[in-house]
Amino acid sequence: MRAMRGLRVFSARMQALFAQRRADRVFDDELQQHLQLLTERFVSQGMSRKDAADAARRQFGNAALLQQRQREARTFLSLTSLWRDLWFGARMLRKHPGSTVGVIVALALGIGMNACVFTFVNALLLRPPTGYKAPNEMREVWEHPRNASGIGSFMPLTYPDYAFFRDHARSFSGILAYDGDPEEIIWNRSGHGQVLHGQLVSGNAFSVAGVGVAMGRAFTPADDQPTHPQPLVILRHSFWKQRLGSDPDIIGKSLMLNGMKYDVIGVAQPGFTGFEVAMAPDFWTPLSMVEQLVHDPGRLTSRNSNWLLTDGRLVAGQTTKSAQAEMSVLARELELAHADTNKDMGETLFTFAPVPGPFRGYVTAFTGMLMVVFGLVLVIACTNAASLLMVKSTGRAREMAIRSALGAGRGRLIRQMTVESLLLSLVAGCTAVLLASLTSQLLLNLIPSSLPISIELPLDWRVLVFTFLVALVTGIVFGVTPALRGTRIDPVQVIKAETHSGGYQKSRLRTAIMIGEVAVCALLLFSATLCVRSLLNAGSIDPGFDTQNIAVATLDAGSLGYSDVKVEAFYRELATHIRALPGVFSSSYVNHLPLDTSREQTSVTDESLAGTKPNGVPVDVFRVEPGYFKTMGVPLLGGRDFAQGELDRKVNVIVVNGALALRLWPGQNPIGKLITVGDAKVRSQVIGVVKTGKYRSLGEEPIPALFRMEMPPRRVLVVHTFADPGSLLDAVQREVQIVDPNMAATEVQTIGKFMSLPMFAARTTGLLLGASGLLALVLTWIGLFGVISFSVSERTCEIGVRMAMGAGRGDVMKLIMRQGLFVTGIGLVIGIGAALAAARLLSSLLYGIRPDDPATVVVVVAGMTVVTMLACYIPARRAMRVNPVIALRYE
Amino acid sequence: MGDKKSEVLQGTLDLMVLKTLNSMGPLHGFGIARRIEQLSEDVLQLNEGTVYTSLLRLQQQGWIASAWGTSENNRKARYYSITRLGKKQLEVERENWERFAGVVGRVLSQEGQG
Repeated sequence: MRAMRGLRVFSARMQALFAQRRADRVFDDELQQHLQLLTERFVSQGMSRKDAADAARRQFGNAALLQQRQREARTFLSLTSLWRDLWFGARMLRKHPGSTVGVIVALALGIGMNACVFTFVNALLLRPPTGYKAPNEMREVWEHPRNASGIGSFMPLTYPDYAFFRDHARSFSGILAYDGDPEEIIWNRSGHGQVLHGQLVSGNAFSVAGVGVAMGRAFTPADDQPTHPQPLVILRHSFWKQRLGSDPDIIGKSLMLNGMKYDVIGVAQPGFTGFEVAMAPDFWTPLSMVEQLVHDPGRLTSRNSNWLLTDGRLVAGQTTKSAQAEMSVLARELELAHADTNKDMGETLFTFAPVPGPFRGYVTAFTGMLMVVFGLVLVIACTNAASLLMVKSTGRAREMAIRSALGAGRGRLIRQMTVESLLLSLVAGCTAVLLASLTSQLLLNLIPSSLPISIELPLDWRVLVFTFLVALVTGIVFGVTPALRGTRIDPVQVIKAETHSGGYQKSRLRTAIMIGEVAVCALLLFSATLCVRSLLNAGSIDPGFDTQNIAVATLDAGSLGYSDVKVEAFYRELATHIRALPGVFSSSYVNHLPLDTSREQTSVTDESLAGTKPNGVPVDVFRVEPGYFKTMGVPLLGGRDFAQGELDRKVNVIVVNGALALRLWPGQNPIGKLITVGDAKVRSQVIGVVKTGKYRSLGEEPIPALFRMEMPPRRVLVVHTFADPGSLLDAVQREVQIVDPNMAATEVQTIGKFMSLPMFAARTTGLLLGASGLLALVLTWIGLFGVISFSVSERTCEIGVRMAMGAGRGDVMKLIMRQGLFVTGIGLVIGIGAALAAARLLSSLLYGIRPDDPATVVVVVAGMTVVTMLACYIPARRAMRVNPVIALRYE
Repeated sequence: MGDKKSEVLQGTLDLMVLKTLNSMGPLHGFGIARRIEQLSEDVLQLNEGTVYTSLLRLQQQGWIASAWGTSENNRKARYYSITRLGKKQLEVERENWERFAGVVGRVLSQEGQG
C-alpha cells in the first residue's frame, strides 16, 4: 500500500517534470481567480475595493511562497530555484573575486595535473588500439619460461614457433605477427636517398586485424611464403598522401627500398597507423622478406631469434582461459619436439592494449605513482579551497542568518552553498581540461626523438568523464564541510549580538585542516627535493666522454647493397669531407654510441693467467676507428690510440678500459699484454688503456670494456667541433648527400640531445615531482596566507585589547608568527615522518642520494618555515597597525 | 491573532478537504474554502492559499481528481472530486482522527491535583 502510494506520487512528479510551464500557469490562474472571488465577496459585504483586495490577500496568505512550495512539491528538484541558486551563486562568487580566483586556480592545477596523468593512462592502458576491428577479441601471445618470473622473461616468438601456433591453435580464428621494431629503410627516389620506416608483417595480418585498404589489395597468406618471398609493399595512407602526392596510379608501381624493387599492391585504409600503437611505419612488407630487407639470413628458420609480436583473434565463444589452456598444450608439444630451445617454455596470453602485456606493469606502476603524487596535490588544493570557503562562510554568517530568518530552511541554505562550490569546481574542471591537454603535449616533447615512439593523446570521453568526476567529487568534498558548518547557526543570536560567530570549535577545525595541508605539502616537497637533487646528481655523473662539443649521425652504407670495398670508400670519402668543414676539430666512427640501446658483448681470456686468476671476463665491445678517443674526449690513461696504418693492415690490436685492466692485471702495466677476444683464433695485443666510462646506464658500476677496429657497415659518425655542434648538423647531412646522393644520415643530432635518452627516466620523474612539489608549496602558501589573514581579522579586537594593555608591535608580530609556526611545526613532523616511510619507494629512481638524506630534511624544514613566515608577515603587519581605539569601538 | 481563532492543525486540512469533497461532490478551490469557513463558524483561521497545496498533495496521492468545468458566474474553473481510492482513505483517516481525538480528549479531561 505504502509502496504503491510512493509510486503514484513518483509518477505524478515525473509527469509534472515535463509539463512544468503549463502547470505553473494554470496554478497561478487558479490562485488569481480565488483572490478575485474573495475580493468580490468582501466588496459585496460593503468594503471599499482597495480594502477588499488587501483583506483578500490577508486571508489568502503568502501567494509567492505558496507558488514556490507548489513547484517544489509538484516535481523533484525545482529547476527554477536551482537556476536561481546558480545565478545567486555566480553573483556571490563575483563579489569575492580574490578568493574565487584563488580557489579556481588551486583546484584547476590540482585537477589538471591528475587529468594530464590520466590522459597518458588512457592512451597507454585503457584505449583500444585504433584501426583494429573488435579489438576486445584480440589477445597477445608471449613466450616465457615456466619457472622464470619478472618482466625480462617475457619474449616475443620465433618464426617457427609462431608458424606452429598459427597453424594449430583452434581457439583463434587467426594469429597475426609483426616485427616489433620497425626497420629503418633507405628509399632511393630518383637518385636521392630518404629514410623510411618499414615493418615486416605476416600475410594474414590485415585480414586478422580487420584492417582494410583504401585502394589495391591487402596481403594474403600466399604473399608470405618463406620458400618464395615476394617484394610487395602496402603503404600507410598518410605516407601515400604526403610523400607520394596521393598518386592515384600508385598500385603496380614500385619503390626502390634498400637497393631492391618492391611492388606497391595497396594503400591501407585512412587513419590506420600500424599494428602497434606507438609506431607508425611508412609501409608494410611480408615477414618472408626479412632476409632481403635487413640482410639477416636464417631469421625465418632460427629457433633462437625471438623477434615476432603476435596477436590472435579469439573464435566466438572462446575465453582467455580456454585459449590459454590450448596454448599451454601446444607449448608442451613444441617442448617435446625441440627440447634444446623450447624446454620449459610456456605461453601466456594478455588482453590487447597499446602497451604490450609484460610492460604494462611498469607503466601502471609509474603512472600509478604519479596519480598518487598529484592526488596529494589535489588534496592540498581541496583543503585550500575548503579553508577559504570556510573563512568566507564564517563571514557570511549574517547573510545566512537573515536568509534563515526569512524562512529558508537549513536544507535550502546547504543547497545554496553546495551549488556555489560545485560551480567553482566545474569552472575549475573546465580549466583543468585545457591545462591537461597543454601539459600532456609538453610532456610528449620530453620523449627523446631517438625513441621511435609516437603516442596519440586524445582528449576522448574517458578523459572528460574522469576530469568531471574528479571535479564533482572535489566540489562535494571541499564544499560540504563549510556548508554544514556555515549553516549551523542560530539566526537570533547572530543578528542580535552581531558577534563574530566562529569561536573555538570552528577555529580548531581550521587549524586541523591547515596542519593536514602542511603535512601533505611536506611529504610532496620532500620527495620532490630528493628527485630534483638526484636529477642534478645525474647531470653531473661523468659518462666518460664529452657531452658538449660533439655532433653525431648514424649511417648505414650496407643498406644500399654496396660491396665492402665500396662501403669503406664511402666512409673514407665522407671523413675527408667532414674534416674539411670549418669548425671541425676531429671526426671518427663507432659502431654504436655508449649509453645507446644497442650493445655488443663477448668475453676475454688471458691464456698466460690460466688457472690462477678469474678468466673469461665478460666485456662490452665497441668497434671504433682511429681518432675515436680524441674525438669523444675519452682520456687515455696509458699507451696510445689506434693508428691508421693498423686499420689498413688489419692488425689485431685492442684498447681496454681501466676496469678491464684492473680485473685482469691488477697492479701491472697492461700495455703489450696478449688476450683472446671471444673465440677468435688469433690473440690481440693491448696497445692502450682508456678511462672507464658509462656504457649501459648512468647509474652502473664500472663495467670492463674493450675497443677494437673491424667496423660493420652501420656506423655512427662522431664529430668534435670547436663551437656549438648544433650549427654543424645541416652541414653534416649535406656532406653525406654530396658524397653519395643515395645515402641519408639518420639521427643527426648533438651529443646533448643524444644524452636525453639515458637521462629520460630521471629527467621525467624529476620534472614531474619537482612540479608537484612546487605546486604544493605555492598552494600551501596561499592556504596559510588565507587562514592566517582571516584569523588576524577575527582577532582584531583581541589584538586591540592587548595593545591597549601595553603590548608592543613586536609582541603582536610574535603572536601571529607563533600561531603560523605552531601549525607548520606539527604539520612538518607528520609530513616528514610519512615522507621518510614513502621515500623507500623512490630509491630505485635516485642517483647518488639516499632516500633518508638528512640535508633534504633540513631543506624542507627550512623551506616550509620561510614560506610560513612569509605567509604570516603581511597579516601580522596589518595586525600591528591596529588602532586599539577603533578596534574596540568596532566591536 | 485573536484568542478566539485557532490555527489549523497540521495534517488536518487534508482530512477536511477530503471530507468536504466527499459530502459536497465536485467543488472548485474557492468553494472548498467557503465551505470550510462556513462549517468552522469562524473558529478556524485558514490561510486559504494552503487549500491549494493540500489539493495538490491529495491529487498526487491519487485521492482526488480534477476536471475543468464552468463556475456559477460562467467562469472556467477547475473542479476537484474525490476518487474511489480517496473514499477508502477518508475512512482510514477518519478512524485515525477519532482515535486520536478520543485519546487527547481523555487526557485533557482527567481529574488532577492541579
